[in-house]
Amino acid sequence: MEAVQVIEAVGIPQGVPTPPRPAASPAAAREARPGRARRRRVGRTWLMAAAFLAPAVVTILLIRIVPFIGAVISTLHVRDGIGLLAEERFAGFQNYIDLLSDPLFQATLGRTLLFNVIINPLQIALALVIAVLLTRRVPACGLWRMAVFIPCTIPLVGSSIAWGVALRADGPINGILQALGLPTQPFLSSPTQALASIMLVASWVGIGYWMIFLIAGINEIPDELYEAASLDGAGGWRSFWSVTLPMLKRPLLFVLVADTVANFVLFVPMQMLTGGGPQNSTTMLMFDAYRRTYTYSQPNQGATATVILTVVMLVIVFVQFRLLKEDAR
Amino acid sequence: MTALTTGRRSMRGRVLAQRWLLGLLAALVGLLFVLPAIWMLLGSLRPGSDVIGSVSPLSWNTLIPDVWTLDNYASLFGPLRFGQALINSLVVGFASVALGLAISIPAAYALSVFRFPGRELVFAVLVVGFMIPFEAIAIPLAQIFTQWHLDNTYIGLILPGIGNGLAIFNLRQFFLGIPSELHEASRVDGASEFRTMTQVYLPLSVTPVINSALLIFLAQWSAYLWPLLVVSDDNIQVAAIALSRTFSDTSFNFGQMFGGALVISVIPAVLLLVLQRYFTQSVATKGLK
Amino acid sequence: MTRAAFGKTLALGAAAAVLLAGCAAGSSSADPSGDWSIPDEDPTAKINVVGIIDPVADNMAEVIDAFEKAHPTIDVTYQYVPFDDLNSVLDTRITSKSGDPDVFWVDQPRVPALSARGYLEDLTEQFSDRIDGLVPATVESSSYDGKLWSVPIANSTQVLFYNKDILDAAGITPPGSSGERVTWQQLKELAAKAQASGGADIGLMVGQPDRYYQLEPLPVSAGGGVGVTGDDMLTPDITNDGWVDAMTYYGSLYRDGVSPKGITPEQTDATFLAGKTAFFVEGNWMVPKMQDATFAWGAALNPVWEGGDPATPTGSWSLGINPFSKNKEAAAIFIDWMAIDGQGGYGEYRDFAELPANIKGLESYLAGPAFTSSQGGKQSAEVVNEESTTTAVARASTVGYIEFEEIIGRAFSDIANGADPATALAAAETELNGAWKQYK
Repeated sequence: MEAVQVIEAVGIPQGVPTPPRPAASPAAAREARPGRARRRRVGRTWLMAAAFLAPAVVTILLIRIVPFIGAVISTLHVRDGIGLLAEERFAGFQNYIDLLSDPLFQATLGRTLLFNVIINPLQIALALVIAVLLTRRVPACGLWRMAVFIPCTIPLVGSSIAWGVALRADGPINGILQALGLPTQPFLSSPTQALASIMLVASWVGIGYWMIFLIAGINEIPDELYEAASLDGAGGWRSFWSVTLPMLKRPLLFVLVADTVANFVLFVPMQMLTGGGPQNSTTMLMFDAYRRTYTYSQPNQGATATVILTVVMLVIVFVQFRLLKEDAR
Repeated sequence: MTALTTGRRSMRGRVLAQRWLLGLLAALVGLLFVLPAIWMLLGSLRPGSDVIGSVSPLSWNTLIPDVWTLDNYASLFGPLRFGQALINSLVVGFASVALGLAISIPAAYALSVFRFPGRELVFAVLVVGFMIPFEAIAIPLAQIFTQWHLDNTYIGLILPGIGNGLAIFNLRQFFLGIPSELHEASRVDGASEFRTMTQVYLPLSVTPVINSALLIFLAQWSAYLWPLLVVSDDNIQVAAIALSRTFSDTSFNFGQMFGGALVISVIPAVLLLVLQRYFTQSVATKGLK
Repeated sequence: MTRAAFGKTLALGAAAAVLLAGCAAGSSSADPSGDWSIPDEDPTAKINVVGIIDPVADNMAEVIDAFEKAHPTIDVTYQYVPFDDLNSVLDTRITSKSGDPDVFWVDQPRVPALSARGYLEDLTEQFSDRIDGLVPATVESSSYDGKLWSVPIANSTQVLFYNKDILDAAGITPPGSSGERVTWQQLKELAAKAQASGGADIGLMVGQPDRYYQLEPLPVSAGGGVGVTGDDMLTPDITNDGWVDAMTYYGSLYRDGVSPKGITPEQTDATFLAGKTAFFVEGNWMVPKMQDATFAWGAALNPVWEGGDPATPTGSWSLGINPFSKNKEAAAIFIDWMAIDGQGGYGEYRDFAELPANIKGLESYLAGPAFTSSQGGKQSAEVVNEESTTTAVARASTVGYIEFEEIIGRAFSDIANGADPATALAAAETELNGAWKQYK
């Protein structure tokens, strides 16, 4: 049987052309009637949608968006004096100019972008590989899934501190390297390795999380597609590329966007393990914003850094949506 | 023996070998991920300073304790009041999931099934919502909650967690994949949108609902800054903050800290293990048959 | 809903945002007044106290009970906050101007910064005639700009601990707990010798590596000063000879393998107790922990820079009053009981767990079992007495302390990891000048 015919029978219209349905249903006939009836139905749809959406939208508006607008407004102000009790006065884009012309901040911005360009695809790819592995009919795969998932349930403070001990110059990781005959590494004390070490910690924590969503996506792919592909002569690799990946587009978009956000707002490992060093090599945008707001008590500048971070994230996420776009339904 | 049967037997052998190899690989990956957690677990069963004392040089003693003790757990559930903190976290977590799903599922449904002008704008608002780092709004939001006397209450802890844009996004992605014929058929049968959602879409969506529930639960379970700013009463304080009780500015008990971290991680891990059996259903097998 | 209605909703939302932002900035309240005094008779009041001491595990609840028994009309609600989150909690609660909390723990070096931010009530009038019973250096650490901003409840000092077994094996005569001090330079040699022939993995370790609190004695003793000068105490002074020499020495400890790289402050105590470290410069809080040591140990006076004056770190926690508090009298009575009354209620009811700032309390502290039950304990008592009274040097008293501590800490860390000291300090100076622009 042709793959296309299988999909038609199963009825999953995912990037694969389906033959048009016969326009015999009463719903389709209703669509054809023009004018007032259609406008009434659109109005009813809007009302229905509002009812379904209202609680969520109101909650998110009140708890996230509105306070954020307040934060954005604060970025247009500076204070005469220090700290949150000092008087604010309007200063336009002064904060943005100050920050964006500071070479340290520029370096932080560049470093953050670099960090995310490397770590996001890496984590997703690894999560995908492991998800595929753990959806084969492997004995005790439920146990291994939990094993991979456990790191993301451990409080990040605890994980960071544990990894801080493990990555010591005389710690277990270097001990294992030595046992394997490899030279010991400075890890967190080296300006070149510290960021990679933080990526290691972040990945250990994050991969299990994304794997769960990808496993759910993989399990949604009907077996018939794989059977059809193998009957067509596709081996393991080809069926992965031609069946698994296209069918995973939607979960992949979700995981990619969520992972991007998670990595952009990550700051606890830097705070616990390196304080932004050595030599500023692990100072990321979120850590910098956190430090300005909560350590230095410079709320307006901290908010400015956060707004810049959010804008950058928005741009990247927008691009990701475009790349993994699907046809409008 | 014909060539066909020997061919089939060797193919079975190949499949078996492949499964063995995959099994080994899966075990290796699982072990790699869980080994540091095992180290933490064994470290929590040692006297306080033994964890650091045994780190170097690398030996079996680094992993396996020579002196075993349950003192750390006795401290955690005794003077450090972890039990109450865990209960608080559980209450907040489950309530957030219940309320969060109650508002996320209809929202995701509307965003994927209904067609109305401004649909993508609303979706964009929700996406922007979860991209706003919480640290940016924590202080003013905490002050507002305190003014409204929501500090030191479960409600104050639960409310910020129920509007989880990521959970809505996850459900919407899944709902988009459910064939619209199902929706049309249900409406043709005379069911309201609400009934279509609950009786047609939801039964197909067990896995993404569980995943979204996990999202909401984990976000609340690991929340630190919000409980810090909004709760000062020990009886309401959550587990993530309670973990800080294992160290002070002049002392750090690694055994207690690791123990506390693992105790905190056990509940979500067990939840996942238990809910895993719902991960194998698929739309294709349930939907149109 | 039409597009116009949608637009109107958006405008409403924006207005709400501005309103909320304004709301959060604080309710109406007059300027906090300093016009009050400690009454002779207890008022009836309820006060909130925010502290970093665990109520159950570290006995703070017992302290509060004892106070309430002594002052039955004042009801205290004590709230525990993890010490490294204290700042964010104070930022949120004090700036809401509701007067909550009334009393809170104040890290002494942050006193200038907190007073500049308006978080502390000026206590000069109310307490200046009551503080005779406190160690003078601690009162100084709570003062800024000629005023008293908080009342010290604890103090700190450092002790040079050594593993006697290792020193004996290497044939090293231990430095003494009185009389002549070993120099930092000599100490490095002794530490290396202990590694070579005493079986020590670590020659010399400090309790809080890369932290200004711990390392301040090095440049001070080398003649470089505390790192900040100027009338406004906002001019960094970390690139002078004393500082560069001191930091070159510090970097050499790591480069030459005498000190271990990558051990964080949380791990040092446990590392010393593991028994493979020869010398350990750590605070007085280590003495009670040494009762668990499985090796013979001793305590000596802190090292001094060759040719310089001895210097030791000092300063710890104190109690401050929220300027917006509505119960300042009761708050002051609480603070008085905690810090000044008798031996200081805080120290007494916690069995003197910390080095007291109260002079009578100090005597009880040094008479405790940790300081009397072993040779090392007795030596520690001698050292603590000597250092806290004669060689203590307070940290830089500047409104920009928080930025200073953070930036210089990173420079220390870079130097320990191999960066050139002069370059690292110069970079830190540039960053400091940038961070302090807002104060000038």
